[in-house]
Amino acid sequence: MGIINKTVIILLLVVTTDAAFSRPISWSGGSTIMYKTNSMYSSYYYHYSPLYKYSLGLEYINDRHFNDQYINLKTTYLLGRKNTKSSQANLYLTGGVSTKSKNNHFYGVHGDWETRRLFASFSVINKDTDVKDYTENELTFGVAPYLGEYNDLHTWVMVKAKKDTIKNNWETYPFMKFFKGDSLVEIGAKNSHWDIHYMLRF
Amino acid sequence: MYKILLSLIILSSNTVLAMDGMHNHDSHNHNKHQDMTYVDGSKTKITDEMFSSFSAGLSNTQIVIVDVQGMVCDFCARGIEKTFNDDKDVKKVDVSLDKGKVMIAYSMNKKVDLDEIKNIFLSNGQTATGIVIRKV
Repeated sequence: MGIINKTVIILLLVVTTDAAFSRPISWSGGSTIMYKTNSMYSSYYYHYSPLYKYSLGLEYINDRHFNDQYINLKTTYLLGRKNTKSSQANLYLTGGVSTKSKNNHFYGVHGDWETRRLFASFSVINKDTDVKDYTENELTFGVAPYLGEYNDLHTWVMVKAKKDTIKNNWETYPFMKFFKGDSLVEIGAKNSHWDIHYMLRF
Repeated sequence: MYKILLSLIILSSNTVLAMDGMHNHDSHNHNKHQDMTYVDGSKTKITDEMFSSFSAGLSNTQIVIVDVQGMVCDFCARGIEKTFNDDKDVKKVDVSLDKGKVMIAYSMNKKVDLDEIKNIFLSNGQTATGIVIRKV
């Protein structure tokens, strides 16, 4: 297998095991469906939260680049939460395995802090694959240009920075986040391709 | 190195981020009278306009006004409305992100369980810090 193909596989795993989706745990008894598509793959992710402290999920990946399909099993555990009058902070432990091979799994921590105006998050995820083990670091910042009330359309201007131990350089790209009611959409442009993420909670 | 960092973060999180809502309830009298302040009523005041707007058209109703911490995101607060609306005795729910308040209108035959209300907020990720019940 050529170095380019190996690199593409690794990059694909980086994006398909992205654990930094908005709020990886729902309310007790809540379910979440996500759809994500970009230039290389599409994914359908469902997770269920038996309690507000953890979620269990399955993610189906349709890899268009290699014409491959497989499933990721993910879990996220809430290590701690701090609520104040004007903010909420969360720290999560996350991990998962893939049906792609027994050697494909990941684990790490993800934290976020949010007010009605500002958002910041980080994640440090260690990923083991057939090809190479590596670590991915991610930072996200966001600002709401206006403060919407409950049931309004909410808009966030976001920027994400990623660095992994393979390429070892930060990659930064902007995206917009919109949500209203039970639906959330993130739209970004990465490497000249649209990156779209839809989420529904129920 | 990252595994060590990970372990440190996990261990420290248990002390730095104490789980909200897990405080000692012994100091409260949960069986107290429904017209009284539950935790800290001074935080639970709402404007007459808000209350009038919410209670318009309601009668024979007990309205629970909750002061909430951590309710900063509409998308993350959806479960509050859904969970309370699952209760057949709930007539109406209103969430105010700006005020950090939630108002729930219960029928009078509902025996309001204040611990249950606090737990509903906890299970949705927020913390109820003050609860007051008014009757209309």
